[in-house]
Amino acid sequence: MSGSGAVLRRFLGALGTVFSRYWTVLALLLAWELWVRARHLNAIVVPAPYSVVSDVFDNPSAYAGPLGHTLLNSVVGLALGMVLGLWCAMAVWFSRMLSGLLTPLLLVMRSVPVVVMIPVVARVVGFGTPAVTTITTLVSFFPTFVMVLSGLRAAPTAMTDVFAVLGASRPMVLRRLLLPHAVPELLVALRLTAPSAVLAAMLAEYLLGRSGLGTLFADAVVFVAPQRAWGAALIATVVSVACFVAARGVERRYAGRFR
Amino acid sequence: MGKSAPASIPPTDPDTGGGPAGSTEEGTAPDPDADPRTESADAGSPRAALELSGVTKHFPLRRRNTVALDGVDLTVEQGEFVSLLGPSGCGKSTVLRLLAGLEEPTTGRVRVHDRPPAALVNDHRLGIAFQQHALLPWASIADNVALPFRVAGRPVDRARVTELLRLTGLEEFAEARPRQLSGGMRQRAAIARALALNPEVLLLDEPFGSLDAVTRRRLNFELARIWSEQRITTLLVTHDVEEAVLLANRVVVLTGRPGRVRHVEHIDLPRPRGGRLTREPRFHEVVDRLTALLDGDLASRAGADEGATAQTGRRWLRRRGR
Repeated sequence: MSGSGAVLRRFLGALGTVFSRYWTVLALLLAWELWVRARHLNAIVVPAPYSVVSDVFDNPSAYAGPLGHTLLNSVVGLALGMVLGLWCAMAVWFSRMLSGLLTPLLLVMRSVPVVVMIPVVARVVGFGTPAVTTITTLVSFFPTFVMVLSGLRAAPTAMTDVFAVLGASRPMVLRRLLLPHAVPELLVALRLTAPSAVLAAMLAEYLLGRSGLGTLFADAVVFVAPQRAWGAALIATVVSVACFVAARGVERRYAGRFR
Repeated sequence: MGKSAPASIPPTDPDTGGGPAGSTEEGTAPDPDADPRTESADAGSPRAALELSGVTKHFPLRRRNTVALDGVDLTVEQGEFVSLLGPSGCGKSTVLRLLAGLEEPTTGRVRVHDRPPAALVNDHRLGIAFQQHALLPWASIADNVALPFRVAGRPVDRARVTELLRLTGLEEFAEARPRQLSGGMRQRAAIARALALNPEVLLLDEPFGSLDAVTRRRLNFELARIWSEQRITTLLVTHDVEEAVLLANRVVVLTGRPGRVRHVEHIDLPRPRGGRLTREPRFHEVVDRLTALLDGDLASRAGADEGATAQTGRRWLRRRGR
């Protein structure tokens, strides 16, 4: 009796928290629903939020497969991009020559929008999964590179002095001091790139993929199924936000240990 | 004790007639595992462990050269504890950084055991502790103390780490992170780390500079005890006169801007030096004299009014130090 009461109270408390923090989102959805109903807008123009949500919940199998593909694409791309970013940051830290070689190249790459790169990437690596993975990798690469490099270069002087006096070699300084010291920056990079990796994967799928939420969206547009298209967008948004929240949780949990 | 005498006088002062500081120096020989030191000490004339001759150091500062050190001569013998005393910004840390191979002299020669400092660094025979503890925040205290082993690519000697933790009173905190300890404990851990590989030379750059007066005093006594057990050639950089006198065989006073050796004071107070000594007149006599020197340097009128200047000088230094 008292147990179920406590559960109910906790549930209501959580609901209250969600409502107090995200009431703007809820208000927007409500206004959207009212607007569609009041103006009698056709679903092809704007589907009402309720119909979109019910499409997702009524056909989970239609969404589950593409979602799985997109998640796989983004996780693989994110991991590759972050590893590559980490390696490039280490290379640039290690060698002045590599720094001179890589930095301008990477800056140029950074200044070109992803959308513009997509046709080029498709030419080079072909359509389908390789292209999607490449795009996601490119998106996750740059923030990791920049953040980790700044972390490697920001070690306190007293610590680098201690290592110098202990007679540490450069690889030893990197391994025992700089890399652990750059972990918080790596986690910031994860928080920044995790949501955009999902969106980049979806964009690449939309333009040149053969599976995933992006393809689902593209097909839904072609077959004039607005609820399905908006459903795909809804799921992408939710997943992206969830990735951000998860990455932020990881950062909060572990970053403090390294400073 | 000549003003301009390059500090190369052997640590035993003839004036005291086998003074306690000198006799302990030779009498209680270092522990058996400090072979190289004992041997060279027995070999007769004490070899200079640290040597600066005619060292000047310029730093470029906004397109102008700042002279940090100007013609500094300094020698530290084997197994000697020398305090380098001076006001803030007199280049005393620069001396230490030159000896650690972290800086190169503009002119002059820096030798550690008759070799350039880098040689000792490459052999992992140098221990150092700074005002900032510089412990790795992600590693436990035991792992921090074990760091020199790892950096040198040697297997970690767990027994040695435990021994050092006991020596510095940190046994119970072996698994704690630096963040969980007090400032004094962190400095002790930093000193334990500096001692890990049985260094031949220990360099301390105001290791207790950021601590409160009470903790600082206690750690001074502890450092005195640790040093009497290990007898490592030590150079301590400090702006605290009492700390310098309490710990050292010799105190070298630097003048500020540019740094020059102003005075060398042999401290013949008996060891072990504890809290009682710091309340004795002979201790204060030395402290007051050195403080007056520093004060004279600051006001550029040495020995104008001994007592009063000494007092204000000490207060001024203390406030400045905090």
